Amino acid sequence: MSDLRFDNRVAIVTGAGNGLGRSHALLLASRGARVVVNDLGGGHTGAGKSSAAADKVVEEIKAAGGHAVANYDSVEDGAKIVQCALDTFKGLDIVVNNAGILRDTSFQKMTQEDWDLIYRVHVLGSFRVTHAAWTHMRDAGYGRIIMTASASGIYGNFGQANYSMAKLGLHGLAQTLAIEGRKRGVLVNSIAPTAGSRMTETVLPPDVVAALKPELVSPLVAWLCHESCEETGSLFEIGGGYVGKLRWERTEGALFRLSRPMTPENIRSKWSVICDFGRSTHPANITESIQPILGNVGTAKGKGGNEFIDVDEALGYEFPPVESKFDERDLSLYALGVGAAKDPLDTRELAYVYEMSGEGFKMLPTFPVAPALGAVFALAKEGKQAPGLHYGFDRVLHGEQYTEIRGEWPRAGKLRQKIKIKDIFDKGKGALVISAITTTDDAGRELAYSEMTTFVRGAGGWGGERGPSADVNVPPDRKPDAVVEEKTSPNQALLYRLSGDWNPLHADPGFAKNFGFERPILHGLCTFGFAGRHVVSKFCPNGDPRFFRSIKVRFAESVFPGETLVTEMWKESDTRIVFLTKVKERDKVVISNAAVELFKELPRPAEKPAASATPAAAAPVDRASFGSADVFTAIEDHIARRPELVAKVGKVFVFKLSSPDSAWTIDVKNGSGSVTPGAGAADTTLELTDADFLAMTSGKADAMKLYMGGKLKIGGDVMASQKLSFLQKIDPKEAAVAVAKKRGGATSTSTSTPTSTSTSTSTSTSTPIFKALGERLAKNQGLAKEVGAVIQFDVKSPDISWVVDLTGPGAVRQGTDAKATAVLRIADADLAGLCKDPGQAQSLYQHGKLRVDGDVRVARKLGFLKDLA
Amino acid sequence: MGRRVNVIGVGMIKFSKPGQSEDYHVMASKAARAALADAKVPYEAVEQVYAGYVYGDSTCGERATYEVGLTGVPVFNVNNNCSTGSTALMLARQAIAGGAAECVLALGFEKMEKGALGIKYDDRESPIGKHAKVMVDVQGFTQAPPAAQMFGGAGREYRWKYGAKKETFAQVSVKARKHASNNPYALFNQVLSLEEIMASDEVFDPLTRYQCCPPTCGAAAAIVCSDEFAKKHGQTSPVWIAAQAMTTDYESSFETSMIKMVGYDMTVNAGKKVYEEAGLGPEDVQVCELHDCFTANEILTYEGLGLCKEGEAEKFIWDGQNTYGGKVVTNPSGGLLSKGHPLGATGLAQCAELVWQLRGTAEKRQVPGARVALQHNLGLGGACVVTMYRKD
Repeated sequence: MSDLRFDNRVAIVTGAGNGLGRSHALLLASRGARVVVNDLGGGHTGAGKSSAAADKVVEEIKAAGGHAVANYDSVEDGAKIVQCALDTFKGLDIVVNNAGILRDTSFQKMTQEDWDLIYRVHVLGSFRVTHAAWTHMRDAGYGRIIMTASASGIYGNFGQANYSMAKLGLHGLAQTLAIEGRKRGVLVNSIAPTAGSRMTETVLPPDVVAALKPELVSPLVAWLCHESCEETGSLFEIGGGYVGKLRWERTEGALFRLSRPMTPENIRSKWSVICDFGRSTHPANITESIQPILGNVGTAKGKGGNEFIDVDEALGYEFPPVESKFDERDLSLYALGVGAAKDPLDTRELAYVYEMSGEGFKMLPTFPVAPALGAVFALAKEGKQAPGLHYGFDRVLHGEQYTEIRGEWPRAGKLRQKIKIKDIFDKGKGALVISAITTTDDAGRELAYSEMTTFVRGAGGWGGERGPSADVNVPPDRKPDAVVEEKTSPNQALLYRLSGDWNPLHADPGFAKNFGFERPILHGLCTFGFAGRHVVSKFCPNGDPRFFRSIKVRFAESVFPGETLVTEMWKESDTRIVFLTKVKERDKVVISNAAVELFKELPRPAEKPAASATPAAAAPVDRASFGSADVFTAIEDHIARRPELVAKVGKVFVFKLSSPDSAWTIDVKNGSGSVTPGAGAADTTLELTDADFLAMTSGKADAMKLYMGGKLKIGGDVMASQKLSFLQKIDPKEAAVAVAKKRGGATSTSTSTPTSTSTSTSTSTSTPIFKALGERLAKNQGLAKEVGAVIQFDVKSPDISWVVDLTGPGAVRQGTDAKATAVLRIADADLAGLCKDPGQAQSLYQHGKLRVDGDVRVARKLGFLKDLA
Repeated sequence: MGRRVNVIGVGMIKFSKPGQSEDYHVMASKAARAALADAKVPYEAVEQVYAGYVYGDSTCGERATYEVGLTGVPVFNVNNNCSTGSTALMLARQAIAGGAAECVLALGFEKMEKGALGIKYDDRESPIGKHAKVMVDVQGFTQAPPAAQMFGGAGREYRWKYGAKKETFAQVSVKARKHASNNPYALFNQVLSLEEIMASDEVFDPLTRYQCCPPTCGAAAAIVCSDEFAKKHGQTSPVWIAAQAMTTDYESSFETSMIKMVGYDMTVNAGKKVYEEAGLGPEDVQVCELHDCFTANEILTYEGLGLCKEGEAEKFIWDGQNTYGGKVVTNPSGGLLSKGHPLGATGLAQCAELVWQLRGTAEKRQVPGARVALQHNLGLGGACVVTMYRKD
C-alpha cells in the first residue's frame, strides 16, 4: 500500500509548539502538508506568551524540507489563525484543535477564573478556530477537523472538573459538526490521547510519562485527517501504542405503560432491569436513541387497569401446572358432598359412591370442577397470584362456572391442572376475572376444561372492556319440563369442604359473621353439584351420567345448609337443558342463567385407528394396543387353530362388558367353536368392565381377585368358568397377526371411533364471525373466487365446526366437510385475533396455534376474514 | 484437489437402542475390524485414525482403537454434531489427497442415551443458541424436543410455502421403513403403513413419532487410501471419492426462515461445490444417502441437492421417484429414520451403504446399475458434508 501523503494540503495545528501539537505538525509536514504552527507560547497553565516555541517547530520543519509558517495568535482569535493559513498557503484543509491548558484543583477550591479560563481556551478556542474554518471548508467541499478530548472528560478525574467539562464538551461539538458537515465533505472526529506532555506531567509518574510519547498519538490524527479516511463523528482513545474506538452502550431498559401512573416506586422495582447490560444496544444516532421511546409511546397504551388489576400484565398469564391425585374415595366423597345417594337403595345414585356397585361405579360428572378449583386453592395457599392481580380473597365472589368433560375419566389417577387468566372485564364497580382451567391426565390427555368467573368487588372502573353482557341460558316462558326438589342437610357444607374448598366461610361461624352471614353458607359449587345431579337424573338417557357434556351456571345468591333446593329444568333440545335452582324456603333463585349440554351419543374411549389398509400387508399388532374386540379376535383365531378345544371345554361363555358396553359369545361347545358379538344362550355369564377384561386377559389382573373384589360377576355355571384357563395359552404372535388382519379387513365393524358430537355452546365467539362472513360473501361475490377452496374451520374451546365453501358463489354453514381443501383448527380465543389481522395466519400457524390439515396454502388467503370479529 | 482417494473397506455393526448396546469401544472396534477385513489390510498399515463421536469425554477415539491394536498410530478425535462421521471421513480424505498418508481409518461411533437430544453443558453459550433464537422469534418454544421443533418448524414453513400435505411427510417414513426392512444393520426392520405413521403420537406438527429418527447406538468405519496403496493391496477397481465439500452456516441461517436455519443453504452450497468438482450433476446420481433426521429434512434435502426442483418434492414423493424404479433411490439403508442415527457413526454408515451399492453387493437393497452415489450428512450448529462416490 502506498504511503498516506498530504501534498498540497494546508493544516492548522493549534498549540503546536510543544508536545502533541508539535508532534502532529511534524508528522503532517513530513508527509507534504503545509502547516500553520500555532502557539501562543504560554506555559501549560496558560500564563505568559512567547514566540519561541512555534518558531522552533517551523525551523525544524523547514530544515527537513517541509513547508510551515508560525502563528502566535490566541485560539480565542481563531479567525486570525485561519486567515494566516489562507494568506500564506491559499487554502485550508485540516484543523487540529490541540491547544490546551490545565488549571487543576478540587472542585471545592475551584475559582470562577479557573473555570472560565479552561472554558475559553478549550471550548471557545476550538469553536472560534473551527467556526472560522467552517465556511471555507463547506464552500470547498472538503475538510478534516480534529477535536482533542480527554479520558478525564469521558470518565471524570479528580481535580479536573473544569477540564472534564471542556473536553467532553468538545466531543459533543464534534458529533453535531460531523452531522452538519458530512454532506459537504467536512469530517470531524475526536481523540482522547494519553501522552507524556507538559499537561500530563502533573498527573502521571515520570517514567510512565516518558513512555507515553506524543509520536504514538499523531499517526491517528494523520489518518483521520487523510482524504482516504471516511470516519466522522467518532471518538478514539489512544496512547502508549494502544488505539481504540468508543461508542455508547445502553441497556435494553424497562418500559412502563403510559396508561398507568409512573412512580418512583416503579423505577425502583425495575432498577435491576434498567441497569442490566446483559441485554444492551449501541445507539449511534438520535434516531436509534429515540426508537424505544417512540416504540413505547406507540404501543404501551395498554388495556388499562388500576391498583387492583393490571390487565396487560395479568391477561394470558399461565400458572405453573398444579398436580393432584384422585381415586374412587375422592369420587365418592365428592358425590356424598353434593347429596348423592341419600337413599342408599337407589342403585343409580349408589353407583356414584360405591366402587363395587352392580351398576358399575360412575363418576358424578360435575366432579372435575373439584380438582380444578382445588388447584386454584392450592395456588392461593402458596400465595401465588397471577402478576397484575393485586387483590385478596376477601374481595372475590365466585360469579360463574363452566365445566366440560373432554375425555374419558379413569376411576383413579394423577391430574394436572393448567390455569390461565383468560379474560378480564371491567364491570364498573367490580371486575370480572375469568380463569380457564385445563385438566389433563399425567400423559397429557385432556380430561376436562373449566372456566371460573370471579367477581372482584370494588376492583373495576378503569374504563376497560365490559365484556359480554347478554343474558344467556334464559328459561323459556313456560312451565318447566322437569322439577327436582331436594333438601340439603344441615352439615352439607362440612361434608362438601372435604373435596377441597377449605374457605372458612363455609365452616367457621365466627368467620361467617364477620362477612355478614348469620351462619356459614353452603359452597356455590355444592349447589352446582346438586343441580348437575338433578339434570343428569332427569335428562341423561337411562340416567347415565356419561352423557353429561358440560354445565354452565351463574351464582345468584347464597344458600344456607339445610335449605331445600328446587331445580327447574327446560329441555331446549336433545342435547341442551336450561335450568335454574331456587331455595324453596326463601323463594330465591340461587343459580340462574344455567344450562347443561349432553352428548348425543355415548362418547367411546378413544381407540387407535385401524392399522393397515390391506390384510396382506398387515404388520403384527402390539398387544398393548389391543381393545376388547381385538382380544375376542385373538380368541376366535386361537379356537379356529385348535379344534380339539371343543371336546376339552364343551361350554358356551357370554361376556358382558361395560364402559363401553359390549357383549360377546364364545362358543367352545358346538361345531368347531366360534366367537360372535352379542349375547347368546350361555352356560356361564361373566360381567365386568371393559378395562378389567383387558387387564384380566393381558395377565395384569387376576380373575379370582376380580371376582372376590366384586368386579367380576359370574352367572350360571360358576365352575365352568375355570375352563376358561385355555385363554391363557393364546400365542401372542398368532394373536398379533390375527388382530392385524382383522383390523385391516374390517374397518367398519371392528372398532367404532369416538363420535362425540360437537354442539355449539353459548360462549363461542365464532358464531357471529361466521354469520358475518356469510353476509359478507353474499354481498361480495368476488371474494370467494379469489380463494376457490372449501375450508373447514374447527374452532376449539368451545368446539364448533364451520364450513366455508368458496368454490361457488360462497357459502358458510356449521358442520364439517370431508372434501374440504383444508381443515383449519384454531382456538376460539385466537380466532378473533386472526380476524382482526389475517396476516397473523403465518405466525399463528408457525407457532402451532393454527393447525392445518390438507393444503396449507389456503391459510395464506384468509383476507376474507378481515375485521369480522 | 490432490490425489485420488479410494474407499477400499467399510464396516458397521447392527444399530441398537440406547441401553441395549455394547459399550462404545466395543462397538467401534468391531466396526473398525470389519472395515479392515473388508479392505484386506492389517491395522499396522493404517497411518492415521480420525475417530468421530459426539457424546463422551476426550480421547474416546484412542480408547476405541486400542481394542484393535496398540501401534502408536496418530488418532484425531472429531466432534461436529450430527455430521461428525462424514467430517472424520473428510479429514481422512484430505490426509490421503494431500499426500500426508497412504492409508487412513475413518471411524465413527456413538453410545446415546434414551430420549431426545438435549444440552450437556448448560453453564455456557449453546452452540445452537443463535439457531434457537431464530426459532423462538419465528414460532416460540414448546415442550417438544428442540430438534423436532427446529426441523418440524422448517416442515411447517415448507407446507406454508408449497402446500404439501401432512401425509406427504409421513410417506417419507413409509419408504424409509420399507427400505430398512431389507437392511440387517437397521434398528427397525418392521414396515409401517401410512396410517400407522400418521396415527403415532404427534411430536411437533407435522411430525409424528415415526417421523423422527430414534436415539441410537452404533459404529461404522471406512478405510481410505491412495491409488498406489490400493493397487499394492490388490484392489484394481475400488470405489473412489469423486468430490467432497463441507459448508457451515451462512448469514441466511440467522434471518427469519426456519428452512434456512436448519441448514438449507449449507446443503445447497455443499451440493453445488460437489457437482462442480465432480463434473456431474444430480441427474447422474442413481443412489443417495441423505440426512433424514426428520421426514421434513428429507423433503428439504431433495430440493437442496437438486434431486427435484424447489417446491416439487411432494410430487417427487408420490410419483415414487425416491425409491426403486424412480429417478434416484434415497436412503436405501432406511436412513436415519429407520436404520437409526448414532450421531458419530451416521456419516460413515452412509458411506458404507453407498460403497456396497456401488460394488453391487447390497443384496436385497441393491439399486440396479448404481455407478454414481451421493452422500449428504448435516449437523445443526452447523456443518453439512456432501460427498460423491463413483466406481469405474
